[in-house]
Amino acid sequence: MRIDPNSCVGCGQCISYCPMEAIHLTDAGVSEVDQEECVECGVCLRNASCPTDAIIETENPWPRSVRASFSNPLMEHKETRIPGRGTEEMKTNDVTGRFRYGQVGMAMEVGRPGTGTRFRDVQILTMMLAELGIHLEVQNPVTSLIVDEDKGLLNPDVLNEKVLSAIVEFTIPIEKVPGVIERLREVEGQLNTVFSVDLICKVRQNDFVATVPLMERLGVSLSANGKNNLGLGRPYFEEALP
Amino acid sequence: MTHTLHRQGMPENLQNDYVVFAMSAKDHNEVGSAANMQAFLRIVGRHNPINMGDMKTGNCFHAGTEDIEANVQDTSIVHAVFADIDSVAVVVKEIQEAELGLSVVVSGLLDPVREMCRELGLTPAPHTVEHSLGVWGKVELLPAEEILEISTMCGHGMVSFGLVQEAVADVRAGKSTPEEAAKKLAEPCVCGVFNPARAAVLLKRMADK
Repeated sequence: MRIDPNSCVGCGQCISYCPMEAIHLTDAGVSEVDQEECVECGVCLRNASCPTDAIIETENPWPRSVRASFSNPLMEHKETRIPGRGTEEMKTNDVTGRFRYGQVGMAMEVGRPGTGTRFRDVQILTMMLAELGIHLEVQNPVTSLIVDEDKGLLNPDVLNEKVLSAIVEFTIPIEKVPGVIERLREVEGQLNTVFSVDLICKVRQNDFVATVPLMERLGVSLSANGKNNLGLGRPYFEEALP
Repeated sequence: MTHTLHRQGMPENLQNDYVVFAMSAKDHNEVGSAANMQAFLRIVGRHNPINMGDMKTGNCFHAGTEDIEANVQDTSIVHAVFADIDSVAVVVKEIQEAELGLSVVVSGLLDPVREMCRELGLTPAPHTVEHSLGVWGKVELLPAEEILEISTMCGHGMVSFGLVQEAVADVRAGKSTPEEAAKKLAEPCVCGVFNPARAAVLLKRMADK
């Protein structure tokens, strides 16, 4: 995004809309976008109601192009054909069977809530998971940026690119979850941003959720709220209850 | 994509915050699903949702409900927000009876949703669950919890911390009512999953401090 200094009247009403605090008033009294911090999410353009239409969407060649695809939810990733930053994950699990009994989906959304991230911070987590021998979800757009799967290295072109958030997503046997949690606790201080963690589990007979007692044992607090796939999708993915 | 997970808050205000949404599965039941998503929108629209939207078009404050329904595509994800579990139960029962074949997700407090599933005969209750394990890393970068309770209602991060702080200041100064300020905050959330009714209550509480 760019603000045309010749059109801007310096009203400043775009400033508070920016999730990355990348817009400021210059000494000349006009608004300016810090190109290093702008993630190309489009919030200012869509919502700030600029009285002179001074906010301009710019062409962003590679590697800056990843900023919009990971930050603007109206843009569809070519890898997933889904708008947003991740995959269908548990939302269609009743039809796809992506997560089965004994398996757990995990994701770390780096930069959420509201702080944003450079891909070099995302790479700390992809490298950690590679060390554990964990393969990332192939349909996730972060996975498409991996150039060395054994080491979890991302394309070096993008490491300094900033986005609103990027999701590192994978499926593992439930027995492997404690090892991931232990390593997450060890590396979380290395990131220069925050990340939100989530856990997906297919519900068993008697409405038993296997991840609940596991997290209690590991001393990890679970949210009181969350997402519930109701199982209404058809054709229904059939799997015998354990 | 976990755009309705990680909504922060206390149980007493989360009990007024439920998102119901539907989508088809790529390479499974995607083709021709737009008509069923339109049917979903008509069902939820009959029960006075607080917000609704489709990522392809926008939320009801920007696009209007007619445009949202008219522009639905097979790859859409259609959403509606409700203030209580009883309304959600009525909506889900109608969706169940309509046999739309779409995957339907309810985001909100887990215990009431599980009870609702049991009452509607959905077993296991629910089919699959996703928990948040909270925020990790450099948490000192984050603003006060009460700002996060509002901004995290847009999981794509479209509602900036600064906009929430400005809304509080506007309410405190009498420039806006809590409801007007909350509507302004709902507009950037393109999916229509932001809950302006809950936001108005939280804004008033902050402004009264």
